[in-house]
Amino acid sequence: MKNALLASSNKNRLRQLLDDVPPVIWIILLLMVTFTFLSKNYLSMSNLTNIAQQGAVLLLVAAAQTFVILSGGLDLSLGSVLTLSGITTAIALNAGIPIPIAILIGLITGAACGGITGLLIAYANIQPFIASLGIQGIFYGFALALTKTTAIFITNRDFAVMGSKINGIPMAAIISGILYLVLIKVSTDTQFGRYVIAIGGNESGTRLSGIDTTKYKWLVYVFAGFVTALGGVLLASRLEVADPIVGVGWEFDAIAATILGGTTFTMGKGSVSKTIIGVLLISVIRNGLNVIGVPSIWQPALTGTLLIASIVFQIWFSLRKEARQ
Amino acid sequence: MSIQTSKLKLKNIDSRLYATLVRVLILVLFSVIMTIVSPVFLSTRNISNIITNASVLIILGVGETITIITAGTDLSIGSTLTITSVIAAIMLKAGINFLLAISAALLLGVLIGLLNGFLITKIKLPPFISTYGLQWAIFGFAYVILKGYVIYDFDPTFRFIGNGNLFGILPMPIFIMIIVVLAGTFLLGKTTFGLEFYATGANVESAEMSAVNTKQVTRRAFIISGFLSAVAGIVLLARINAIQANIGQPYLLPTIATVYMGGARPAGGQGSIFGTVIGALIMTLVSNGMNLLGVPSVWRDAIIGAIIIATVLIDALARKRLEKV
Repeated sequence: MKNALLASSNKNRLRQLLDDVPPVIWIILLLMVTFTFLSKNYLSMSNLTNIAQQGAVLLLVAAAQTFVILSGGLDLSLGSVLTLSGITTAIALNAGIPIPIAILIGLITGAACGGITGLLIAYANIQPFIASLGIQGIFYGFALALTKTTAIFITNRDFAVMGSKINGIPMAAIISGILYLVLIKVSTDTQFGRYVIAIGGNESGTRLSGIDTTKYKWLVYVFAGFVTALGGVLLASRLEVADPIVGVGWEFDAIAATILGGTTFTMGKGSVSKTIIGVLLISVIRNGLNVIGVPSIWQPALTGTLLIASIVFQIWFSLRKEARQ
Repeated sequence: MSIQTSKLKLKNIDSRLYATLVRVLILVLFSVIMTIVSPVFLSTRNISNIITNASVLIILGVGETITIITAGTDLSIGSTLTITSVIAAIMLKAGINFLLAISAALLLGVLIGLLNGFLITKIKLPPFISTYGLQWAIFGFAYVILKGYVIYDFDPTFRFIGNGNLFGILPMPIFIMIIVVLAGTFLLGKTTFGLEFYATGANVESAEMSAVNTKQVTRRAFIISGFLSAVAGIVLLARINAIQANIGQPYLLPTIATVYMGGARPAGGQGSIFGTVIGALIMTLVSNGMNLLGVPSVWRDAIIGAIIIATVLIDALARKRLEKV
């Protein structure tokens, strides 16, 4: 009798434990096992570091998007901000400006872009997705005009260090990993981070408690633009080139990663720290399709379908869990 | 009390009439400027050309107007247009009867609308996630089917839809557009079916209390949008007599700009087909004017993005003033 009770409570505990594992982890494991069977090289150290390198930039853009979504907003212009900040950095470098200042120019570009989007959303009260969609068009126009529609090759060789591998360790992954830890800290342990989550949870309540919600809503977009620009600089350094269409579609990857990490569009639920799970899934899909030799022409369609399916799975799973509780 | 509400109604109608007048005035103003800039502008041939060019935009716009009224902007229209015309093109090239090819394309449009409706109402994805995400997957599939090739030169019977003149005078695209506009106006203005779109967009809860099946209404809106995207795809395919995988990509931003210029609001519950027609004509005049003035094509996206922002911004500011009064 006692044993049976113990067994059942153990079973419950196990079930509780399994329930707490984010559902997307199962998809990642399933995909990795499949890819391992289909390609001998999949689990090699060099491929795993490849995944890390490819995910490094998305990790930053996705973290930026998570901040915006936690505040109850959305930024569809982040892909074009990624592009534009890489371009201004590249132009500055090719003009002979020292690397630190060139990077600073890229970061200021990102923050300024976010500032414009945020102005429309926070101060003019325009719906986030429509404001950032219009802004996306404007920034892409600037990217095309600045580059005259062709890629800019970065001539400063030292700049490429951030994107290279040192003793097999991808620098980009390390840099973005450190920045990501800082971002998590910002979201949980700073006034800014707490206000962002409070605004997403209950905006009017937050305003009534004396917080200038409009200012903080604006700051979220400035911050997101800045963080995305960090990704843009990293990407330009890895590719050694600034391309006017390199960022197309990244904003959706960033949104997908955020949702897959369990952040929802209502009530400020979710966290920056879990977004890495979504980034991991997207990187595993992109890398895996490549490694097992799926023709490149098939990859956008397959990636898109797998992402939508994963999002549906994630939402369905969390709704079911909510219903059970 | 009742006098007050009737006064409010009167004021509402007044402001709506006023807004429509402003739009018509802008259209006239643009036409006058164009007449001064270019002497050929007012020729019958040029006017008919402009309206023919606007037809695809108007057909897309009617579908988008309905989804925006229902408070769920459809961001997948460009990709739906692409994939449906790709399917039609492949079937035509395989020697299949053009009526069958058209039916297949229309059916596919409806299916994509159904899928969006399912993801939004059953899985509860926010509309912009579902439609924006599907967009990338669908573009991927169009790319797979065409394998990067351009298909061109179709059967003359099919091309009549794009180039032919009905009774020797009325270009077919204009004829199809007029049918779509009349059907849309009748549907939205004179039927319960149409009023339910407004009710759902204006306030989901109160619509549901008045026994409107809001989920079904949302699904209907996306099915109509998918269907009309397919219609626009067929007209465009027959008109330019060639297809490549990015045929629909340039249509998303202009269509959304068109609908907002026509007086719809991102929050839903407002908008009209007549407004969208005026918006599409202004939009076409703007791009016509950009061509005439030799504005580099790289600025096109930026200008259209700016138009979207400006339109929504003016609307938001006007609303703020009204609320203060």
